[in-house]
Amino acid sequence: MVSSPSAELGVGAVDAPARGARGRGQRADAIAGVVVIVAIVAAIQIASFFVPAYIMPAPLVILRALWNELTHDTGDVVATLLRLFAAVLASLVVGSALGVVMLGATWLRPYIRVLLVVVTGVPALSWMLIAVFWFRNTEERIFFILFLIILPFYAINVYDGLQALPKELLEMVESFRPRPLQTFRYLLFPHLIPYVILTTKSAIGYAIRMVVFAELIGAAVGIGAKMAVAESAFEMDDILAWTVLLVAFNLILQALIGAIERRLLHWRGEVAVR
Amino acid sequence: MSVQPEIVLDRVTCSFNGVTAVENLSLIVERGEIVALVGRTGAGKSTAINVILGALAPSSGHALVAGCDPFREFRALRGKLAISFQTDRLLPWRTTLENVALGLQIGGTPRTQALERARTWLARVKMTGAEEKYPHELSGGMRQRVSLARALAVDPEIVLLDESFSQLDQVTSAELRRDFRALVHDLGKTCLFITHRIEDAIEMADRVVVLAAPAHVVLELRPADHPDPRALVDRIAAAMLGDAISSRQE
Repeated sequence: MVSSPSAELGVGAVDAPARGARGRGQRADAIAGVVVIVAIVAAIQIASFFVPAYIMPAPLVILRALWNELTHDTGDVVATLLRLFAAVLASLVVGSALGVVMLGATWLRPYIRVLLVVVTGVPALSWMLIAVFWFRNTEERIFFILFLIILPFYAINVYDGLQALPKELLEMVESFRPRPLQTFRYLLFPHLIPYVILTTKSAIGYAIRMVVFAELIGAAVGIGAKMAVAESAFEMDDILAWTVLLVAFNLILQALIGAIERRLLHWRGEVAVR
Repeated sequence: MSVQPEIVLDRVTCSFNGVTAVENLSLIVERGEIVALVGRTGAGKSTAINVILGALAPSSGHALVAGCDPFREFRALRGKLAISFQTDRLLPWRTTLENVALGLQIGGTPRTQALERARTWLARVKMTGAEEKYPHELSGGMRQRVSLARALAVDPEIVLLDESFSQLDQVTSAELRRDFRALVHDLGKTCLFITHRIEDAIEMADRVVVLAAPAHVVLELRPADHPDPRALVDRIAAAMLGDAISSRQE
């Protein structure tokens, strides 16, 4: 042996600029975030000088309403988050399974695909109105609406992910003659993780909007229901405070998914573009 | 009592979509033998390997690997047959150690034991120190070593190599070939490898089989019986070229 292959490398040289670029990107994102938030708060403050409070309350009033909601309406916040969590989890499991079935059962694939296209094409409002007629229970209604809206995202993306699986890797794993469950465990499941995370990232913001919308129409408890009450009482500070809270939830959930992504996909190398 | 050959192809023909890739190919590989299948691009070498691997069923003829039909008795060959491909095909989410342990885990070895054996194999292919690295952190030569370790770690009776060294630079490829041949001989494995590089075949194989398209044997010889390597290269090249000339004449 001329030299030990373990001694060759240069990995650090490749990764160092990528890590540097990532650090710079994160700093720039943080600065931009602060600048945008300060600008919005300033705009609200300025607007509040010129219009009545039911049009645009001052940031301090909104902040007070927010504190009030967090300390007195915790049950509504928890209810909304639980509904969101249950629907996203169920859509993730059923949608991903549907994606896998689409790959395995070729004869069934066109039917499922058409069904998903139809379901995706139905406006969210239609699902909400249909749910009001179909279900008496509020929780069932909201779950049904969210589930049908989010599920196609997972089914389609997981199916696309499976289609993107390199044939070479499948051949390699099959050369060891695995059972179907082993192929799933050692190859398909880890391959699908990035697709499921990406889908969750894009679905979560949409799901937050939809859960509030569904609660607005058919629930007595939850952030959406509280927003409906605030709207009927002309309490703009409450509406804006709930809005701030929803945006914060989205940011926190995105950050949480980001952390899970970093944990599960730590094997991916950083990419830096000159 | 005679020892049963490890690989038997008996007048195997493979056709798909009206194209015949393998035609009446007969080949026997004895236990412990290293055989090179040499042929030009498109000669049907990979199709022949796929038949042996059990990924393809022959249109006619029979294939027997370690006494089993590799296609019909696919699972019966688990742990008896392993392959290293032209590209390393490492799973990007697994560390070097976990990649080597993959075949063992599929074979039912508990994770801890599989990783321990994988560690031993990484040392054998001179990759100690790279256990926790991911494939993207390794050079092409290192990745190919890991791929070889993954194939050998399951302790197969038969090892197939599908142009495993062809994408590496000359120095790395020569090093790997030397190491691999020594390993396979030490362990008494049967090895069938395909290559389009005549020098690789002569250096590594006990027997060289030249294929012409659609895969059939046009020449078979033992490098040890030919003291002049230059003449040997010329003879094999002529057999490969003969195929080209005849196909042009047709």
